Amino acid sequence: MKSSVLDGPVRKNLVFVLPGLLIYAAFVFVPILSAVGLSFTSWNGVSRPEWVGLGNYAELFGDARFFTSLKNNAMLMAFYCLIPLIVGMALAAMVSSIRSREQLAIRTLLFMPYIMPSAVIGIVWQWLYNPAFGPINQGLKAIGLGALALPWLGDFTWALPAVGMVAVWYYFGFCMVIFLTGMQRIDPSIFEAARVDGAKPGYVFRRITFPLLLPEIRIVLLLTIIASIKSFDLIFTMTRGGPANATLVPNIYMYQLGFQLSRYGYAAAVAIIGALLIFAVNYVIHRTIRPRDGA
Amino acid sequence: MAAISSRAAQAATFRLVMWGFTLMTVFPFGLLLLTSLKSKQDLFRGAFVLPDRPHFENYVSAWVDGHFGVYFWNSVIVVIPVVGIGVLLGLLTGFAFAFLSFPFKKTLFVMLTLGMMVPGEAYIIPLYYEMRWLGLLNTYAALILPQIAMSVPFATLFMASAMQQLPRDILEAARIDGAPRGMILRKVILPLMGPAISSLGLFLFIWTWNEFLIPLVLVNDDALRTMPLGMLFFQGRYTVNIPVLTAGAVIVIFPIIIVYLIFQRKFIEGLTAGASK
Repeated sequence: MKSSVLDGPVRKNLVFVLPGLLIYAAFVFVPILSAVGLSFTSWNGVSRPEWVGLGNYAELFGDARFFTSLKNNAMLMAFYCLIPLIVGMALAAMVSSIRSREQLAIRTLLFMPYIMPSAVIGIVWQWLYNPAFGPINQGLKAIGLGALALPWLGDFTWALPAVGMVAVWYYFGFCMVIFLTGMQRIDPSIFEAARVDGAKPGYVFRRITFPLLLPEIRIVLLLTIIASIKSFDLIFTMTRGGPANATLVPNIYMYQLGFQLSRYGYAAAVAIIGALLIFAVNYVIHRTIRPRDGA
Repeated sequence: MAAISSRAAQAATFRLVMWGFTLMTVFPFGLLLLTSLKSKQDLFRGAFVLPDRPHFENYVSAWVDGHFGVYFWNSVIVVIPVVGIGVLLGLLTGFAFAFLSFPFKKTLFVMLTLGMMVPGEAYIIPLYYEMRWLGLLNTYAALILPQIAMSVPFATLFMASAMQQLPRDILEAARIDGAPRGMILRKVILPLMGPAISSLGLFLFIWTWNEFLIPLVLVNDDALRTMPLGMLFFQGRYTVNIPVLTAGAVIVIFPIIIVYLIFQRKFIEGLTAGASK
């Protein structure tokens, strides 16, 4: 890095860096390192932690509940990531043909869930899904579909998709807004030229819009996949991982292991695996989706 | 002719679909507001039936009996220092990463990005024991200090990249005049950073207002709970009193919607621009 006119002696520079770095080190970085260390121990929170090496990680390999949580997490990715991506892109393509004031209104409203506290969203949807007096089942009964009025969040089969649909509701507007911004970045004369050449809309989308939207697709994939791995608030407030582990995800499992069963070392190992998964996703997406230059 | 009318039909279909999805997004919020104004009797008559009159007393019971008044002020007490100190530290550390040289700069930068990627869930257990060791469990400090620390990486990167886009000659001119750097930061850079500071402030406000895990784990005294947590425990106490529960939800969400509607352009631009970097 080139040195700036504002640079000075290191001792005086440190005055600017240290306050932020020290508080960060104290409450984020040291805890991260401790979590790594803790994951190599067996600790009940009271007695001295006992070094077990990779024992916790080895135990995770044989832990059926952990695999259930990973499997659920993989299922949730479809709802956090795939459906919002597809719906968001379709809507962005449609909304770009609508007048600008109306477009602004739609954009403002669709983006709204994304800034809401997911814990509160979870509690609200738990009420919407309530089997006895929830508006969703009341609505289904009112239009003669009473047979479909299931105990959504209490049903072994439907609990995970029901939680997933909330994630779809939460993320599709966000995806649409990002794709819309991306489409506005693309030079309209490209589409004009394609139309003059007689290209069909499907062909235009496949060969022009989609490749030019790769930077946005990358960022949407990155944010939503990571959000699905991090998912905690929504599930904690809606189902706590139940019924019978039907919606258990690694972070909920970590919380149960640590704060309910006092198996802190083992819980830390689960947490570290989650963090490693996030790194892996980051790496894979940065390596595989490469927008052509200029993007 | 046929081509034109089929295009008009297509445009109409698109609008219909768009507004259908928009309605789906807004519907839960509308239902929330409607239910928060109902009496319990109204509720028995059906979820979609209008109340005979708006029952604003639900808000009073949420605020007083449901402790949402306490939760609201706790959220305010936590948000103000986190946003204020977070922005201030972002300015200082961002300034350092943008312009100054110091040992291990690259390593420290990687450390910061690491903290941005690792979710709070990954280190909440050591953080809990650290807070216990410091005797800070069940204090405002347990809510404020970690959230300041968690905002340092993003605030630093955000401020550093904004400062790097400042015109060089202004900084050079100020330096040649012999002004000390603290003063240049305050008198020259700060006034130019208005838009960046307000964007950062907005993000930190939303993240802190919405934070769930930190208050869930580090505080169990009801008098210290922030709004999302208060909502969870309120639900546990009064599952059946839906009108008051929804009134509480409106109290939590209302400040965010106001801030969002005022700054919506800034929000969307900031989040999408930040996202595509």
